[in-house]
Amino acid sequence: MSAADRAALFTETSCDTNTTKSEKQRKAGCPKPKPGGTSGGCTFDGAMITLVPIVDSAHIVHGPIACAGNSWDGRGSLSSGPTLYRRGFTTDMTENDVVLGGEQRLFDTILDVVERFAPPAVFVYTTCVTAMIGDDLDAVCTAATAQTGVPVIPVDAPGFVGNKNLGNKIAGQALLDHVIGTVEPADVGRFDVNLIGEYNIAGELWDVLPLLGRLGIRVRACISGDARYHDVAAAHRAKASMVVCSRALLGLARGLDERYDIPWFEGSFYGTRAMGDTLRGFARLLGDDELTRRTEELIAAEEAATEKALAPYRERLAGRRAVLYTGGVKSWSIVSALQDLGIEVVGSGITKSSDGDVEKIRELLGDAKMIKEGSPRELLRVAAETGADILVAGGRNQYTAIKGRLPFLDINQERHIPYAGYTGMVEFARRLDMAISSPVWEQVRRPAPWDAPAPALADLAGVA
Amino acid sequence: MAKIVIAERGAAIDPLKLSQPLGAALVFLGLAGSLPIMHGSQGCASFAKALLTRHFNEPIPLQTTAISEVTAVVGSGEAMVATLDAIRKKQRPDVIGLLTTGVTEVSGEDVGGQLRSYLAAWAEADTDSARPDGAPDTTTASAPLIIGVSTPDFVGGLTDGWSAALEALIRAVIPAPTTARGPADGATALVAASTPAALSRSAGTARAIPATEPAATAAQVTTAVPASPLTRQARTASVTRPAGSAGEDGDLIAILAGPGLTAADLDELAGLVRAFGLVPVLVPDLSGSLDGHLAPAWQPTTTGGTTLAELRSLRDARAVLVAGAAATTAGELLAARTGAPLFDHPHLTGLTEMDALVSELMVVSGRTAPREVRRARERLADGLLDAHFVLGGVRVAIAAEPDLLVAAGSLLHDAGAEIVTAMAPTSEPVLADAPWAEVVVGDLDEFAERAAAAGAELVLGSSHTREVAHRIGAAFLPLGFPIFDRLGAALASTAGYAGSLRLLLDAANRVLDHGPGGHTSDGRSTTDLTRQPGATADPDELDDLFQESPC
Repeated sequence: MSAADRAALFTETSCDTNTTKSEKQRKAGCPKPKPGGTSGGCTFDGAMITLVPIVDSAHIVHGPIACAGNSWDGRGSLSSGPTLYRRGFTTDMTENDVVLGGEQRLFDTILDVVERFAPPAVFVYTTCVTAMIGDDLDAVCTAATAQTGVPVIPVDAPGFVGNKNLGNKIAGQALLDHVIGTVEPADVGRFDVNLIGEYNIAGELWDVLPLLGRLGIRVRACISGDARYHDVAAAHRAKASMVVCSRALLGLARGLDERYDIPWFEGSFYGTRAMGDTLRGFARLLGDDELTRRTEELIAAEEAATEKALAPYRERLAGRRAVLYTGGVKSWSIVSALQDLGIEVVGSGITKSSDGDVEKIRELLGDAKMIKEGSPRELLRVAAETGADILVAGGRNQYTAIKGRLPFLDINQERHIPYAGYTGMVEFARRLDMAISSPVWEQVRRPAPWDAPAPALADLAGVA
Repeated sequence: MAKIVIAERGAAIDPLKLSQPLGAALVFLGLAGSLPIMHGSQGCASFAKALLTRHFNEPIPLQTTAISEVTAVVGSGEAMVATLDAIRKKQRPDVIGLLTTGVTEVSGEDVGGQLRSYLAAWAEADTDSARPDGAPDTTTASAPLIIGVSTPDFVGGLTDGWSAALEALIRAVIPAPTTARGPADGATALVAASTPAALSRSAGTARAIPATEPAATAAQVTTAVPASPLTRQARTASVTRPAGSAGEDGDLIAILAGPGLTAADLDELAGLVRAFGLVPVLVPDLSGSLDGHLAPAWQPTTTGGTTLAELRSLRDARAVLVAGAAATTAGELLAARTGAPLFDHPHLTGLTEMDALVSELMVVSGRTAPREVRRARERLADGLLDAHFVLGGVRVAIAAEPDLLVAAGSLLHDAGAEIVTAMAPTSEPVLADAPWAEVVVGDLDEFAERAAAAGAELVLGSSHTREVAHRIGAAFLPLGFPIFDRLGAALASTAGYAGSLRLLLDAANRVLDHGPGGHTSDGRSTTDLTRQPGATADPDELDDLFQESPC
């Protein structure tokens, strides 16, 4: 992918934040990584996150061992069937390949994988090293497709071009350019939809699908969580798309709209209010009165049930204080979810949120409670100062919290507990309660015997 | 003597290999107040960090120079400088390991040269700021020891990275004897650290380590700067021995550890050395940093491990003990530079290697083995006897880094198990010492195929191999790295008398848990004897033969 093509990904007409940016801001693209002050994945990582949950396909990493060897089978995205996506395929470039070029090895690897595993498709990812030595990814993929008859899709997202978000965007573009529209489904339905940016972390999708099912809505393609290649390839026949919690993939939704007239909306599965809005969003775009009526019925029934299930937790959680550190939509949608439960949000990190997200946090919390530096030290300081009962953040901060003897709830993609849908909301409350009231805190906060004041021998021996 | 077979490389499927920078980072994570930096894309560090976090269940201090496609092409030097500056200012570590990756190696940049100029510029700045009133420069209080290591992703693997980092570390902290005799002697000054304050100041003097020496391998990047005036200042106020080193307490034993040893193994090893009245210094010491402990407060660098003072005290080592073949080159270097005798062990698992080590410790200390050591040996010997009933003839498949593969394989072999599949990610000389027929270098897909074909009944390996065991219906014992589907990996045992026993019993118990071997559920024998007609007696005859005697 040329630099110009990539720059085009940063012009997102559907994104209100992006359209308000100046030409210069837009050209700057995703925030540049800062040497010595950066954490988080690279572009290659982002592309893998988006595409690897196409679970029946083979995902081949063209690069040295670090890229696949340190990362394969390390994601929390679950499959209800095929497990090929969990295998680690790589060209494992060695010094010779670097000197002589890795195209032949890549070609042989693709053929080998197709022959052994007969996948419906192969995704091939470039990495920094193979990008630098100039291997022609497109040419190899074209040749391999011709040779095998299996679609071989190039994903040109080497790590050093930027952060994870850019990788999501490139992956979305690869689907638009090479995959979507290549399969005509035989079973097009009136209420077929696409989910974009849903990764089925901890099986969350499976808490949402039954709700949609009850409304007669069928998910044609989930991009990408528990996805099958042929469903993704047929995504152009869906009647509506929903962008789930990730603005990085707005471009894919817009592409589907522009190329195939599929309307879309942004929604979230987290929290009671968001869930209702999401279901209404589908009903609105699918434009069916009967569906709208049934949707309202479902929402009313589910909300009533959820309220009832939440009642005991509300009681226990009321007045608790939380520090939140997450990014994107979640940085405000979780704020409102926490507030709904009667929890006071005493601080929320904003370093990973877009300008629009920050505005929403400001509305909910006011300026004072926005944490402008995301270092572990700062988070612990804010928690201590505000007397917080819990840190709600991504897995990377888990150890920050527990080493500071602060209860913690993982809200990002590494977690193993599903929080989506109405059942997820109840689970979220239950986990918050469990985290805060765990007996473990009393244990570990107690001073060691040598740090506590020495008791008298008489007391120890129980002598009067 | 095992034959080493390199599996034919087609696609690498389910890699066993991990990258060089990851191995090198582990060495630096075993040093106190340390922060490894991966000189590459941000993903290089974030993938490694994620994997290490999943294995250790601990926060992992690991930074990145965040190379972009532009800096990768026009030069990564500026990013490196910016990173080092930022980290010296913010995290203030005592030790920094700068590890190259594929992206910074492929362009052929002179990272070593860039680092040398950075350190030189920095030494100059220190001199300037220290001069005016002659007072000690406060900025050097946070001056870390910086060691660069060349660890391209596309060469070797975790073990190679570990070896390279350990060797670079020894080269940096123990100057070559020839230069140590020179006039600008940085080495004498280095031991001038007797208090924590003086220590951190003298951390800056570590830059006085002589540049290179003829024996330096290509793998070294270096820390190398001429001695600053501060170094000499420190020397005049010198105290002969650093705190916590030998002297009053007993002779110092340098223990250079390989990547196979867990925190529990290192604890036992250090305890054994102490039992002989000797003072162990473990390098690196993952038992101090990544053993899983609740420190008083959070900090951005490692919360334990080998300290700088301990590193410098290595020059007084009475003996150099290599515990793992990956540490051999570093051990040879340290022995050569200190003149101390070298005790080289490819691993410390099982009776043979441990007996050899104890004999050496007896000679070095002039003491006989204390009671607890004898007892531990008696227990291992007894455990071998108990386990041989269970493990005897059991077909075992192991996939692990070379040291650990030979260690665990030897132990099971000692108990009578048959090592049918042994898979290493990279080829190392130690593999040839394995006491079974063959070691294959390849990936886990190849491992699964070979283990299935050989009818393996017990599989040992990382969490990635659990799937393999499941697929072929074998018992499974987690071993090595990464272990991400259970807790306490750092406290599992693999070495020492007690640790070997634990590993042996765990292996035997997994076989027992897995159910009685030898028969399928419908009662047929799984041992598929190809009987030749007439080669053995007919069943009827056998029945007669084994009929109980009437009397």
